[in-house]
Amino acid sequence: MLSVEDVSAGYGRLEILHKVSLEVAPGEIVGIIGPNGAGKSTLLKTIFGYLPPFEGSVRFEGAMLAGQSPDRIMRRGIGYVAQAGGIFADMTVHENLVLGGYSLGSSRAAARSIEKIYDQFPRFRERARQRAGSMSGGEQRALAVARTLVIEPRLIILDEPSAALSPRFIDEIYGTLADLNKSGIALLIVEQNVRRILDSAHRVVVLDMGRNAFAGASEELRQSDRIRKLYLGEDAG
Amino acid sequence: MVEEILEFLILGFVLGGIYALFAVGITLIFGVLDIINVAHGEFFALGGYALYIAMVVLGLPPAVGLVLSTAAVFCFGLLVYPLLIAPLKKRLGRRAPGPLFLVLTLGLSALMQNSMLAVAGGEYLKVPPAMTGGIDLEFTYVSNQRVLIVVVAGLTLLALFLFLRFHRQGMAIRAVAQNPAAAQSVGIPLGRVFTLTLGLGCALAGLGGGLIAPLFSVYPAVGFTLTIKAFAITILGGLGNLLGAFVASIIVAIVEALSVLVIPSEWQNAIAFGTMILVLLVRPSGLFGKKQP
Repeated sequence: MLSVEDVSAGYGRLEILHKVSLEVAPGEIVGIIGPNGAGKSTLLKTIFGYLPPFEGSVRFEGAMLAGQSPDRIMRRGIGYVAQAGGIFADMTVHENLVLGGYSLGSSRAAARSIEKIYDQFPRFRERARQRAGSMSGGEQRALAVARTLVIEPRLIILDEPSAALSPRFIDEIYGTLADLNKSGIALLIVEQNVRRILDSAHRVVVLDMGRNAFAGASEELRQSDRIRKLYLGEDAG
Repeated sequence: MVEEILEFLILGFVLGGIYALFAVGITLIFGVLDIINVAHGEFFALGGYALYIAMVVLGLPPAVGLVLSTAAVFCFGLLVYPLLIAPLKKRLGRRAPGPLFLVLTLGLSALMQNSMLAVAGGEYLKVPPAMTGGIDLEFTYVSNQRVLIVVVAGLTLLALFLFLRFHRQGMAIRAVAQNPAAAQSVGIPLGRVFTLTLGLGCALAGLGGGLIAPLFSVYPAVGFTLTIKAFAITILGGLGNLLGAFVASIIVAIVEALSVLVIPSEWQNAIAFGTMILVLLVRPSGLFGKKQP
């Protein structure tokens, strides 16, 4: 459904990604891992339109995304959860969800969708009127995920969903992601927490120095000490 | 003495209404675009000229004139982002703009002021009041035009706050002010929000310019001192804080009006800006703190 082909991108004239390719099939969880500075976040930002690719193509369900802005790309059915969550901290939980449905145009359609999200995440119904920024980091991250669900996306892109969270919240957010995937939503996840992503993802893509270094089933990577040592700086074992 | 105080207090509320329309507009634009619109006073003047054209040249009734003049300034304001700011942003790419946008709006200010001078001349144009008559309070007489200013300014700002709070586009404006990247990720087109915000902010100034035109005269530089004063007000209220800008406007206007009683008028601006500098040094975030709209 998502197909990234030979994409080069970066900031200004500085090229960070060099001809990177990856695929996400419907219903799949794909993890992107690699050392710091490998270009993982840059890749997500390029796919979602925050950065224009220098060259290469990004397609989603056949439509060309490269060169479009994020507000257009999301309308094709893609959710994006930024590294720190990217919620509207000074607004209420409910307002965050209402804005999640901004692209639906009709507030009635959004209201129905938000009602479903409240059923799925009852704690947000209790906290509907609370200022989003006053919640814990884990809850803010969950709200950012919930906010993408208002448009019923077919793919959600997540930039380090576990960053700066305690293990309990990491379990929680990955539990949520597993549920979403079971309901048929494909996920593309950048993650530093290698063990976590190998447990969750069907396939992983390893980036190193802005290039594709490895791509394969999580199981394959789990068993390959060499690759893990080489690209992830992990001790074998 | 008490009657004098009351009289100046009323004047303070009238001035406060104008200041608030003006400062809330500047604050809204700053909060969303991170740009200080130095040309804000010229949109204020433009509102006065537009009302002059509507009422004096075309002979339209005051209410229609005020609506049309405000709408005209709104339309001018809509042009600022697509014609000036967006192209500069595009040229800059990811480079830091530094003071470039300040210079850009300063240039726009000079351009507009000079254009108004060239087209309308430097004379002080008189606009008839929207309402004649007044209320006799025994100790003082309040013209209906002044009552109108307070009521229209108050209702307009109330409408603006409700719009920002509850309307879909108003929420989008707040979303962009708080987190532009997240706003994009939920489908909000930044360019459209920037355009609309500048239109709204300038329209508020234009409405103020039209409301006050019958009391003061209309001339090209009528809004410039107001721009400077609005800087003091927005800093007092906390940069980017709309409610703060509103409250600070009322405070500054009332203090200014009352100070006439004790301070010689030639010292007024010195004291206003002395206070601003003092606030900056003691509490740089303003009286009410920096808060997004």
